[in-house]
Amino acid sequence: MDENIKKFKFLRNIIIGAAIVIIIASVKLQVIEGKKYSRLSEKNRIRQRYITAPRGKIFDRNGIEIANTRPGFYVSVIQSMIDETTLESISKILDIDKKAARDKFKLEKNPFMPVKIAHDISYRQLSIIEENIDNLKGIEVGVEPLRNYPYGKLLSHFLGYVGELTHREIERLKDYSINDYIGRMGIEEYNENQLKGKSGIEFIEVDARGKEISKITEKRPIPVVNGHDIYTTIDVVLTESVAVYLEKYKRAACVCLDPKNGEILVLYSKPGFDPNVFVHGLQKREWEILNKTPDAPMYNRALMSCYPCGSIFKPFVALAALDADMITPEKTFKTCTGKYRLGRRIFKCWKKHGKLALRDAIIHSCDVYFYQLGRYIGIDTIASSISKLGFGECTGIDLPGEKKGCLPDRKYFEKKYGKNWTTGHIFNLSIGQGDLLATPLQMARAYTVFANDGKIVMPHVVIIDDHIYHTTDISQAAIAIIKEMLAGVVASGTGRLAHLDDYVVSGKTGTVQNPHGEDHAIFIGYGPGNAPDILVCLVVENAGHGGSVAAPVVGKIIRAFLNSTKLTHYAEEN
Amino acid sequence: MLKKTNFRIIVAVTVLSLIGLIMVFSTANLHTLTRQAIWLIIAITAAIVLSRTPPRFWSNIAPAIYIGAIVLLFILLFTHGSYPKRWFTVGTVAIQPSEFAKFATVIFLASYLAARKRMKQFSDLMVPFAIVAIPGILIFLEPDLGSAQIFFPILLLMLYWAGMPATKLFLFFSPLVSAAASFIIYIWVAYFIGLTVFLYFNKQLNDFIYGIVGNVLAGLVMPLVWNLLKPYQQERITTFFSPWVDPRGMAWQAIQSKIAIGSGGIIGKGFLSGTQKKLEFLPLRHTDFVFSCLGEEFGLIGIILTTLVFTYLFYELLLLARTTKNRFASIMVAGILAWLGYQTFVNIGITLGLVPITGVPLPFISYGGSSLIACYMAIGVCLAVSRSKFKY
Repeated sequence: MDENIKKFKFLRNIIIGAAIVIIIASVKLQVIEGKKYSRLSEKNRIRQRYITAPRGKIFDRNGIEIANTRPGFYVSVIQSMIDETTLESISKILDIDKKAARDKFKLEKNPFMPVKIAHDISYRQLSIIEENIDNLKGIEVGVEPLRNYPYGKLLSHFLGYVGELTHREIERLKDYSINDYIGRMGIEEYNENQLKGKSGIEFIEVDARGKEISKITEKRPIPVVNGHDIYTTIDVVLTESVAVYLEKYKRAACVCLDPKNGEILVLYSKPGFDPNVFVHGLQKREWEILNKTPDAPMYNRALMSCYPCGSIFKPFVALAALDADMITPEKTFKTCTGKYRLGRRIFKCWKKHGKLALRDAIIHSCDVYFYQLGRYIGIDTIASSISKLGFGECTGIDLPGEKKGCLPDRKYFEKKYGKNWTTGHIFNLSIGQGDLLATPLQMARAYTVFANDGKIVMPHVVIIDDHIYHTTDISQAAIAIIKEMLAGVVASGTGRLAHLDDYVVSGKTGTVQNPHGEDHAIFIGYGPGNAPDILVCLVVENAGHGGSVAAPVVGKIIRAFLNSTKLTHYAEEN
Repeated sequence: MLKKTNFRIIVAVTVLSLIGLIMVFSTANLHTLTRQAIWLIIAITAAIVLSRTPPRFWSNIAPAIYIGAIVLLFILLFTHGSYPKRWFTVGTVAIQPSEFAKFATVIFLASYLAARKRMKQFSDLMVPFAIVAIPGILIFLEPDLGSAQIFFPILLLMLYWAGMPATKLFLFFSPLVSAAASFIIYIWVAYFIGLTVFLYFNKQLNDFIYGIVGNVLAGLVMPLVWNLLKPYQQERITTFFSPWVDPRGMAWQAIQSKIAIGSGGIIGKGFLSGTQKKLEFLPLRHTDFVFSCLGEEFGLIGIILTTLVFTYLFYELLLLARTTKNRFASIMVAGILAWLGYQTFVNIGITLGLVPITGVPLPFISYGGSSLIACYMAIGVCLAVSRSKFKY
């Protein structure tokens, strides 16, 4: 029982202690600080203020800011205080739809939380509001950090943009408020969690005009956490050069990467859009223009458009044949007379090449040779060998929305065309036409097998420490043979216009027949020499031949890159 | 029979319920008051019925009602459509199983502890820990941190009352302290030195080994795991545990609560004359923040009176737990005391800005049927204990 009395006394003291704590705390609030709280309660002079967390910056590989924040004025509404006439006049000043504004602030469940109804208002609007603030009850104006893209259109697909949340998102995403932005497309969407930070709330005392007099507590009840910065592998200067070289073309996609480690240097898609406009909240009309124009400016062609590969696919067919030991480089087939007759159908070549071996067939891109080579090694050899290079599957790049294209194999043909699929389908596949589809990013990655002696890389845009490789079991000898031929393409073949005087460039041209108009021009090139620092894949839509349109541009891009690295080395050495 | 009823408890609870009705009317409206009055009648009826049952009955059916409560929580968690999964809705009535889970857990834990006379080993802690952890975690997942936290003080106090020495209790849970302290190395070192000194003078080899190993491991593992996480993952966890996760704007209500109480002064603004509550407390002014309206309208005097009534009630419960000769009944009353007492202190502490914000109703005063009925059921059981306490 003695034990029980000890416990009883202990708990009794706790109960009494708790009561004393409560009473002391009440005395402090009601007696000692009573005056202060009476004043605060008198005229409803407390506001809460939503403090938007500054979004993390995004940097290019050389430390240039490609996305940052700038200050902008916003207008917010406190539901519990606003009346109909005020809403009427503020929507007139801001030139917004009254009903849309109301729909928006109704989404906030806390009626005392200010809801931003307009971002980035003009100085004119600001001064009108400030002048009439006495009559605008429940309206507040403030400064917030807004997303800013210094390079505008140039990096639009790569960076994406930030926009306001939809009604459905507000309900679904727990840690977002109606006052927040969310990243859409590109880096902004993929790295939303790192970039966004955490918005906070502070309590302030205001005067009769709504101006801040003091903060209620020094510590913010909900502190702001700034977003984390992101360091990307993109080279914004090189991207600018690419944009200049492509100025006269309407639609194009360009991927440049470092074949040694998969770092993407350029991810460019044309046409682009200005991501800065989304900060205001897009009007419906603007949105429709962006989405319904036939050029689809919001579409990132570099990783969403699936093109037939065209002749850039031929080296892979040759690689499959050499790797399977089915031919030697000296292998010849029937003479190219500019066309090839298969049953009653005629398959054309773009030129009369005459009799040639593998090297010349690649250098001069002879279709007839590859029709026969494809048929000779068969669909299974092509499909099994080339699937190792990542066709028909996503590259795993750290960006959203990537498409996986299509690599047809025997099963695919049987499913699509029944048992009666013909040699004609293999003919088409052998020259990269027909059912074979790949994104420019996939094409670029597949070519790293040559640039990188058998390894293909995982492309990525955010700097990471451990690069991921996928080692293929393709024979080194076969790769070396094809590499030499790719150098020949630029030295003396269809890719001559990509030639640089002081560097060895290798590559392959492609011209994709397009039933809807002019051919698409493709060129994939890398340089310098045998251990290249850059690999470029360029697709120019409806522009003509790969050799005449795409190759010279790729040559210029490689030169621009190598010149800039030379400058960097020079600067570092001195 | 009647003369053995503990009228002191009845008086205290009646006064609190009357305060509750007054405040519900003041903060809400007649309709809400009517509903609360109906709940109160149901609750009193339940209490009267329970007060006629012998405590032995509760000890017999304890496992059944415990399992029933767990099943209810499971059904709620896995069948309910959208978050938060806190209520079963029947027509216009929302029933909150977590309130009844508290009741069931206290009774079941009491029946388990009553059967064990010696509570000296750490292994004696495992089963009680599991008994409260299961409903606690289920409620935490609803998510309802406010209700889930109640289970921890219930466990602590019942173990203590059942005979577990306070030093053992502290030692058992000390790795948790270690993990929390490990974020600031100086605090952890200071804590660890203090612990080592304590263990040395404690002179128990087993305790010493457990204390050192457990605390060092917890102190090492926690920061390691934490640093392995990516920044945004860390942020997600802090968001999850932080009391600021309040879609209902509780932080705003907390500052308004301090203003309301502070502006009440010594004598208050008078019944129905509170200004703050009319403007700023939506929608929790009659539930979680009813005490701040009381402070505004009845001032320091109202707060002191209410606090004294609560203190008196808890003192009576404690007295009952001590004087009851039946071990099961005694431990059960201690558990009820922990439940009601902790909930009262946390609720009032929130309105005064003393503790972080979580959603906790004030027993007998806050609007809400489930909470009211569960509290009255607990009081009914206490009355049953008081009536039969000399019969064993």
